[in-house]
Amino acid sequence: MVLLTAFINPAFNHEGATTLLYFPNGNPLTLESILYGFSAGVMIITTLMWFSSFNRVMTTDKFIYLFGKVIPALSLVLSMSLRFVPKFKSQMQTVTEAQRSIGRDVSNGSLLQRTKTAIHIFSIMITWSLENAIETADSMKSRGYGLKGRTAFSIYRFEERDKYALIWLSFCGLFIIAGTLLNAFGFRYFPDIRYAAFDMTTIPFYCVYSALCITPVILNFKEEKKWKISVSEM
Amino acid sequence: MKRIICLILALVLLMTTTACSGNFAQVNLNEPISIPENGIIEKSALDKVRSENAIATFTGSSNDIKYEWTVFGSDINETRDINLEVSLNKSEKGIKISFSEADDFGFPALLSIYLNEKWTSDSATAFSDGEGVYSVSVTGSKTSILNISVDKVVAEWEIIPDMAIQSENTTAKNEQTSEKVTVSQNNSTEKDNYLSGVQSSGDRVYSDGTATEKDKYDTDPVPEGKPMPVEPENQEINNKKKHTCTFSIECSTILNNLSDLDPDKRHLVPSDGVILPPTKVTFYEGESVYDVLQRVCKENNIHMESSWTPVYNSAYIEGINNLYEFDCGELSGWMYRVNGWYPNYGCSRYQLADGEKVEWRYTCDLGNDVGREGTW
Repeated sequence: MVLLTAFINPAFNHEGATTLLYFPNGNPLTLESILYGFSAGVMIITTLMWFSSFNRVMTTDKFIYLFGKVIPALSLVLSMSLRFVPKFKSQMQTVTEAQRSIGRDVSNGSLLQRTKTAIHIFSIMITWSLENAIETADSMKSRGYGLKGRTAFSIYRFEERDKYALIWLSFCGLFIIAGTLLNAFGFRYFPDIRYAAFDMTTIPFYCVYSALCITPVILNFKEEKKWKISVSEM
Repeated sequence: MKRIICLILALVLLMTTTACSGNFAQVNLNEPISIPENGIIEKSALDKVRSENAIATFTGSSNDIKYEWTVFGSDINETRDINLEVSLNKSEKGIKISFSEADDFGFPALLSIYLNEKWTSDSATAFSDGEGVYSVSVTGSKTSILNISVDKVVAEWEIIPDMAIQSENTTAKNEQTSEKVTVSQNNSTEKDNYLSGVQSSGDRVYSDGTATEKDKYDTDPVPEGKPMPVEPENQEINNKKKHTCTFSIECSTILNNLSDLDPDKRHLVPSDGVILPPTKVTFYEGESVYDVLQRVCKENNIHMESSWTPVYNSAYIEGINNLYEFDCGELSGWMYRVNGWYPNYGCSRYQLADGEKVEWRYTCDLGNDVGREGTW
């Protein structure tokens, strides 16, 4: 991906002060555009990583726990729609098999017949999903979801260690925001590559940022050690 | 395994910080300072401009004519108290300037004079004792702005639009006048072309001005007496026949609109606005303005980006010297002018003739500030 963007970007972007060579159509190939393409690729990968780890960490129950009280309707809709796709898939499987048992097979017959069957299954699925959504909403309502004074069970408690983590994260966050405002992370690609000087004024910001990035790694490492010790003690 | 992935993630995150480009003003643009009563700008103020590598502007006015000095911190070598006050007086032919400062500044400074009227001429010459000393670029949309890069101060100048000189020359038909303008090189070439007309090379077709319809590339009728566009696919380049033309690239309009300029690009603007001074260029018969621009930029190591636009059957110049269209306001971009006329078609369709004078100029107002006539 990184290599791909590093190749593609210079083909369309010719800005930059360092000309390496010229394309047949006369436009320059610049070092800056290659590096920009490279970092754009890295950025895309990072975004993908963010979302995959967000998916891993933020499960539906956590989401409902966080926003269930503040925005009950929206968080219900969100968690329902997030749940919708896998649920739809499995239900589709069930319906298809059931239809096959009564002779409506999507993998058999003429094209017209197969299409007919597929449309039939699809119509069943639509009806089911609408009904299912209403049912879920009704069921949540009858349990008093979103009402005042309703408590929700959760396995999360705010402990001492959470307090420390929160303090640490907000410290890092504020420090980095301040650094960004002071342009300590400043970097530009065009027309020439320039970045904030790497000196005593900016190094602290970089240190804090790398510390923030490494925090989950350290936490994981500690957990693993603890687990190993407790296993060996058993 | 998990740990390695985590480490990679941390590294990638670290790299992304470098990918977030912030607003990175390397050259500061200082707030305009008005020139005090006595005209003296103190050494300390100039020292500050130099140490900050900033662009400073000093404004004043004389006889209702505003003027502005633009000083680039990177140009300043030595500093001392200097007097930036000038007095401006309208004269019969042009405008008279007298400087309060007696010595040279020690660095080039750009003097912009904001006239209250519009000069028809798009270039002018500063004369001292009847001798041309500086060429002056005339910009501005509704009223003219005169830009002079001053590095030697003479007590008194008179700025006269070139058009006035030429009309004088043609009526008097005086040989002496050619001596008068030899100082500024580009001036003399322009005069030649105006006087002798364009020597046509090959079989060039001129417009008779009778066409009323747009051509198939959406080009309005070419004015009478101007060369018709030659489609790039029909251009035959004769490698044996060599001709010369004069090429120049300048962006002095940016200097009058520095506040609109992308802060990242300030260091790219030359303090006199000239990217390529008028240069004699050899080209082969049949080549277009675009072909020659491309070669000139390569030879002089000037960055240039263009894109082919099929609708107009021509290349479009997006940026020269990394100064791109829209970098200095949304009406900005590059335009070309041949012998004082802005062709109404693309530069790939203008086939050059021997001795023509091509100017590439950056505009901040759709060409109105660089002397383009007519409306869009």
